[in-house]
Amino acid sequence: MSTTWRGVFTYNKYAQITARAVRQSMKEMERLGAERRGVTALRYQKWENGVGGNQEYLNPEEDKAPGKPCV
Amino acid sequence: MFARQSVARLAAQQAHRHGAAPQNARNMATLREIELRLKSVRNIEKITKSMKMIASTKLAKAQRAMIAGKQYGIANSEIFDHTPSETPAKRKLFIVVSSDKGLCGGIHSSVSKATRRAIADTENPVDADSPIMVIGDKSKAQLARALGKNLTLTFNQIGRDIPTFADAAGVADLIVKSGVEYDSIALVYNKFVSAISYEAGIVEVANENTFKESPGFRAYEMEDDVTKDLAEFSLANAIYAALVEAHACEQSARRNAMDNASKNAKDMIGTLTMQYNRGRQAAITNELVDIITGASAL
Repeated sequence: MSTTWRGVFTYNKYAQITARAVRQSMKEMERLGAERRGVTALRYQKWENGVGGNQEYLNPEEDKAPGKPCV
Repeated sequence: MFARQSVARLAAQQAHRHGAAPQNARNMATLREIELRLKSVRNIEKITKSMKMIASTKLAKAQRAMIAGKQYGIANSEIFDHTPSETPAKRKLFIVVSSDKGLCGGIHSSVSKATRRAIADTENPVDADSPIMVIGDKSKAQLARALGKNLTLTFNQIGRDIPTFADAAGVADLIVKSGVEYDSIALVYNKFVSAISYEAGIVEVANENTFKESPGFRAYEMEDDVTKDLAEFSLANAIYAALVEAHACEQSARRNAMDNASKNAKDMIGTLTMQYNRGRQAAITNELVDIITGASAL
């Protein structure tokens, strides 16, 4: 299978996407534990010449729909 | 003779009374001040004691996470041990790991000082405009004052709870996406020496190109794509190990700082209470003296 994601995002982003998919597919008990390990509220800010830009969220707040656990 | 004696007594009494009223008033005023100070220092002692308790429980959890997370860093560094680079890195990217919260002793300044020392180092010179990326608002403020021109990217909201691999992967992703040029990465963080001490340390992480050029790496015979993935993943690993260890250091430093603050507050309460009681007793004694002299004059 040709890997076409390499041009779009980095390996870390790819790993996080697949991790999110795995987490959402887990059974309820294990999913709660795994969700806690995947929580990140990271914010970042670009700097030019000693002046900071806007602070942006890495994961902007989306509608939190409950993931469908496997039955 | 009697006149002289009575004049002397009158003068003494006058002086005493002149001294007494303002002295009494001064005592009364300082008594109130001491009371207010005592109340506020008692509140402070309660607060710092509770902060110390909280930091102790967080420290236990953070230490467990650190022991688990360090394994990632060790597994990571095994590749670097087998693939030493021939040429010393010219352009280093510094990643400074600290946190957003204060009241934790000298954590943030230790890391900022280590970065400034590394940049000003004459033994292993680095470019004066080496890019610096900071995780954590406190070190960001310190470094923005000292090396503001070198700052390229800063992160915050890490360190509220135990750092997760998602945090580290997000940071690594943003670093690679930002397109900053570097030969190798120097990760500056606080190493956990013991529950009461820490020290700033620097860990080097190699770049993808450095991997390819190292002769030890060619023995592995990997494709370019996979090498790039490996470099990115090992960066995330190293950042995760550093984040988790720095978090444990921060909790231990906060526990120690609050412990010292509580001890100091307790000492202050002791001395202030002494002062207060002495002042109170002096005021009572003065009042008694006034009453008695007044009574004896009748």
